[in-house]
Amino acid sequence: MVSEQDIYAALRAVAGPDGKTPLPETGAIAGVTVRGDKVYLSLSVAPEQAAALEGMRLAAEQAVRRLPDVGAVLVSLTAQKPAAAPPPRQSRPPTPPRSLAVPGIARIIAVASGKGGVGKSTTAVNLALGLAGLGWRVGILDLDIYGPSLPRLLHIHGQPEVVERRIQPLEAFGVKAMSIGFMLDEEEPVIWRGPMVMGAVQQMLRDVAWGELDCLVVDMPPGTGDAQLTLAQNVALAGAVIVSTPQDLALIDARRGIAMFNKVNVPVLGVVENMSYFVCPHCGERSDIFAHGGARHEAERLGVPFLGEVPLALTIREQSDAGAPVVVSEPDSVYAAAYRDIAAKVQAQLEGAPVRAAPKIVIE
Amino acid sequence: MTYPPCHTPKAQQWPRELRLSAGGKLLKVAFESGRGFELPAEYLRVMSPSAEVQGHGPQERKTLGGKRNVAITGVEPVGSYAVRLSFDDLHTTGIYTWDYLYELGARQTEKWSQYLAELETKGLSRDRPGEK
Repeated sequence: MVSEQDIYAALRAVAGPDGKTPLPETGAIAGVTVRGDKVYLSLSVAPEQAAALEGMRLAAEQAVRRLPDVGAVLVSLTAQKPAAAPPPRQSRPPTPPRSLAVPGIARIIAVASGKGGVGKSTTAVNLALGLAGLGWRVGILDLDIYGPSLPRLLHIHGQPEVVERRIQPLEAFGVKAMSIGFMLDEEEPVIWRGPMVMGAVQQMLRDVAWGELDCLVVDMPPGTGDAQLTLAQNVALAGAVIVSTPQDLALIDARRGIAMFNKVNVPVLGVVENMSYFVCPHCGERSDIFAHGGARHEAERLGVPFLGEVPLALTIREQSDAGAPVVVSEPDSVYAAAYRDIAAKVQAQLEGAPVRAAPKIVIE
Repeated sequence: MTYPPCHTPKAQQWPRELRLSAGGKLLKVAFESGRGFELPAEYLRVMSPSAEVQGHGPQERKTLGGKRNVAITGVEPVGSYAVRLSFDDLHTTGIYTWDYLYELGARQTEKWSQYLAELETKGLSRDRPGEK
């Protein structure tokens, strides 16, 4: 096996960054590793010199390769800030604050639920289409990292294109759509750690070419975790819509959701009671499967608006799974009317109350 | 059935402007209500709401010494309810809500003398690094 001394000796024939001093004397050799017949060499240079020193890197590679017992050589330039004189801490200028607004998007609202399985995504899609029906330019962003369902609900597939380093959202029924599901394999389990959630949320908001929107509807993952908090901290949300079934079990969690949005000063636009009741398609009899009216009651108790109730209906389920949301596929149905009514109440609230201006941050 | 309490602590106070001056040594906060406060970086640092300072409960709360010369290096908005202040001692985890900033301003004299008393009792000083 070749020795480090041999390598250093061979490198004496190579001129260092200044073009004359032998490389080993310049202190640029940051590390030598020998593994069998492979040699890895890293040369530390100033960042601004890195491009100009490609010739030196090649010369070093060739010099080492000529040694006996050397198979492969990898020489890499590592750009390092000059180690000398780190700037004194006190003189570091304060960093200018970043903006929380997403350019082009007038308002962002979150559709959330305390627990999963209450029909949050179906509500989000129909709410978005309802808002579009009222004349708004609307986008829908599926951030449900645990079960992204937008591709199926809107019947859109494929990878979004990337143009000039911006992800192009897909379009369906006149709304722009982006889902974390487009980036994932449907069969793959997804294990999200906190920082990954934050990175994904940031990317979905800022690297997607949303264009001009009156409203971006965000389908949140169920619960009160990282994704919700990240969104609330990194974006000035105009409001949140909470979806719940009338069941006590769901309402307890819905209350946690409301409490979380209250804590981070996001206005709760209201509560939607989903799967409110069931009308038998055969006999027409109505059953209150999860009890009925619980969400309205809860909204009143907590002092947040009640936005409306949507029945548990086979049509909604079938059309949703087929990728034809009921607001557009059966616009004359009572279900579509229920969603339109909810959308109108949301729109009225958003237009009535502009987002409270964030305080100006001045760094002198 | 009984429900867990749902508390709705909406911000009562809303700042109009946060101005970092004196090379990061002073944060001037002007509230919409018309009140304004000048909060020194040292005061904000030792009163940081971060769990690193407050712990998880009053028994865990720490008194920090040696922060006389600390400066604020960053003021980042957090949602629409708070700012995250970064300090040049690399403390960056304090999220100051509008209400907390207001409280720090409105009760500055009382809180500051309480802090000085704690330093005294615990044998710490504003000039010597240390915490207890």
